Amino acid sequence: MRMMNNELLKINLTKKQVEPIEISDEILEKYIGGRGLGVRLFLNRIKPKIDPLGPDNMLIFTTGPFGATNIPTNGRFSLVTKSPLTNGIFYSNSGGSFGVFMKKCSYDGILLKGALDLPGYLLIDGEKNVEIKEAEELWGLDTESTLAKLKEIEGKNIHVLMIGPAGENLVKFASIMNDATRAFGRGGLGAVMGSKKLKAIVVKGGTKKFTPYDPDLLKKYVKMALDKIKIVPITRSALPTFGTSALVNVINNMGMFPINNFQKGYDKRSSQVSGEAINKQLTKEQEGCYACPIRCGRLTQAGDMSGKGPEYESLWALGPNLGIYDLITVAQANYLCNRLGLDTISCGGAIACAMELQEKGLFKNKELSFGNAEELKPLVRAIAEKEGIGNEISHGAALLAEKYNSHETAIHVKGLELPAYDPRGAIGHALGYATSNRGGDHLTGYLASMEIFAAPKKIDRFTMAGKPDLLALKQNQKATEDSLVICAFAGWALGLDYYARFLKAITGIDYDVIEITQIGERIYTIERLYNLREGLTKADDTLPPRFLNEPLKEGGSQGHVVPLKEMLKQYYFVRSWDEKGIPKKELLEKLEINFNSKEGS
Amino acid sequence: MVVDQSIFRIFDKIGKHLVHQGLNTSHSGNISIRSGGKIIIKRRAAMLGNLEPEDLVECALEEEDSGSLIASTELGVHRAIYKETDAMAVIHAHIPYGVTLSLIEDEITCIDAEGFALYKKVPVIEVEIPAGAYYTAIEVPKVLKNYPFVIVRGHGIFAKGMTLEDALQNVTGAEQSAKIRYLTLLTGKPLLRDYSKEKDFSDW
Repeated sequence: MRMMNNELLKINLTKKQVEPIEISDEILEKYIGGRGLGVRLFLNRIKPKIDPLGPDNMLIFTTGPFGATNIPTNGRFSLVTKSPLTNGIFYSNSGGSFGVFMKKCSYDGILLKGALDLPGYLLIDGEKNVEIKEAEELWGLDTESTLAKLKEIEGKNIHVLMIGPAGENLVKFASIMNDATRAFGRGGLGAVMGSKKLKAIVVKGGTKKFTPYDPDLLKKYVKMALDKIKIVPITRSALPTFGTSALVNVINNMGMFPINNFQKGYDKRSSQVSGEAINKQLTKEQEGCYACPIRCGRLTQAGDMSGKGPEYESLWALGPNLGIYDLITVAQANYLCNRLGLDTISCGGAIACAMELQEKGLFKNKELSFGNAEELKPLVRAIAEKEGIGNEISHGAALLAEKYNSHETAIHVKGLELPAYDPRGAIGHALGYATSNRGGDHLTGYLASMEIFAAPKKIDRFTMAGKPDLLALKQNQKATEDSLVICAFAGWALGLDYYARFLKAITGIDYDVIEITQIGERIYTIERLYNLREGLTKADDTLPPRFLNEPLKEGGSQGHVVPLKEMLKQYYFVRSWDEKGIPKKELLEKLEINFNSKEGS
Repeated sequence: MVVDQSIFRIFDKIGKHLVHQGLNTSHSGNISIRSGGKIIIKRRAAMLGNLEPEDLVECALEEEDSGSLIASTELGVHRAIYKETDAMAVIHAHIPYGVTLSLIEDEITCIDAEGFALYKKVPVIEVEIPAGAYYTAIEVPKVLKNYPFVIVRGHGIFAKGMTLEDALQNVTGAEQSAKIRYLTLLTGKPLLRDYSKEKDFSDW
């Protein structure tokens, strides 16, 4: 396919074998790239019911056709693997520049399997040289030190994916950090990399240029897209001015900003950690990814520490959800998570679970109480090092609560801790949590964009009509966006009508909106098939009982619970899944999913 | 079947708007949504501006069913749109300015700022028999794959949306652009600024 290399690097770490593999146009036309390509390759090669932290698991990094063009926000790239937290498929994407330079090094992706016997790192350069190098002296370092050391060794002009101590210690919610400040955050992907004893992946150089099919047409469409980004308030001013932390006051005022492990949905003190507070107290400068006109990132200084963020979810997870409203403490805990390589959402979610267990008298540790800011940073370190109570928390909220026979205290779906939107305040978004292929995740469907932000259009957040249909569409569209690969934030201004035209202009293939949406549906369906094969069932498409039975007592979402049962029934029907949530044969035929075919072999 | 009150309220609101703003006559036009994998559509001959709860009919999306006995005549077009596009709601309206321009132009270029920012142009198609569902059900979804609306020459607009309100915005937006274009043409004077020439939306 035009704008792709049609080549992927396959590396067996156990055997230290490196081989390029060709990706056919047929696969790319059906799955595009990014998440779709990664999922397709993963499913074709992965054995059933493997240990996610064993050598049979794979890490598949991929780029898409938009990468290395002038399409706005094309700097992202994808990762697909099996999650140690959910035991299901996990797709993630990250920004920065690594993906673009991997593509410019002539590879659309990297497929890693096996495990090294000693710590190592992978080096890929622009001349297609690939080397596995020893990393004994990097092992144990935090991500900032790792990046600094690698720059000493390999030179300054590099981009690096790496794990911190949390990944090395197989913490189940360890992240993979991207140039030390961005992340493949969720799902414990850093633990998978740690299990392979792979400390880092370095891309050096990369100068390949790509020519779109119709450069003039692409230029024209890109100009139109940039104009649109300039006139939509969210992309023009809210995100550039405040970053994602702009959400704090909005969500809190709607009464769906989770406080103390989702026991409340509003607290007036939340404004102390808002976007306005960050700008006033912490922000040093604005920062953005490759080819991004929005530039939502923030370089910040909090006391004697500095770094990037915190983003909205991190602010919440390490702040109000733990009863902590001291911005400096929250920001420093966020920096620490980045340095240690921990997912801030799951880290905060697991700590919140422990705090509620303590509140219930089940977890005997006096330091663990909502609002205890002093103990937060030591606790984050203990989790990364798996020391003391940190070890118990490091397995995630679900296992922690199960150990204390209090499963309702863990706020998770399929093992993944929920992010910063109380589902009782937006019931379509709630259905998205329950049905996401990667568990308790807000990005897979993100119906909150319509229920809360009226983007692209407003829908009532408490009524059910049409929500299952709309969610399925949004989940399919997101799978398409993740495969192109383009940032979700571009979606505040643009949409698949732009993306289909971009794709047509760069590949010369006559895609339309509906075709690329159906590609998303194909991707979503095969992810579902994988999860079913791994043993997930309809029973996993649910929410913590708190959201089904206990209305919020105050704030803008007061009195509401999630009518999940009826919505789920409709959702299965809309998706052409049977009553057990299994995709029907007719659907597989419609989507041309046939793993026995030559293409699927 | 009497549908959920919240659904009726939105049908009632949109129906009244379409008639009161002169976008439909007392008995023309039809509106529908996709909900729970089914279609909820206005009943045949029901007055859009005076809907009752039982004027909403639930029909199957994938196949013909008995609901079509009382559903809007254009059910077939709505069903085809839902099956072939990403529409979550559909409105059909006989917008006067849009229909007028469709009789003299092959596409309506938006020359107003709002129109070109949101839509760029309003596609126009011609079908052998414009009224009724047979030909329009074949041709209309083809255009709605890539555009929010299409005008069937001499007949009316079909607009899709993520919600009925969204579809209404598309109907009124198209009509507003058509009205401004029509009135501008009526003056017979050259445009001091022609956005359509600046931006060239021909291949959008």
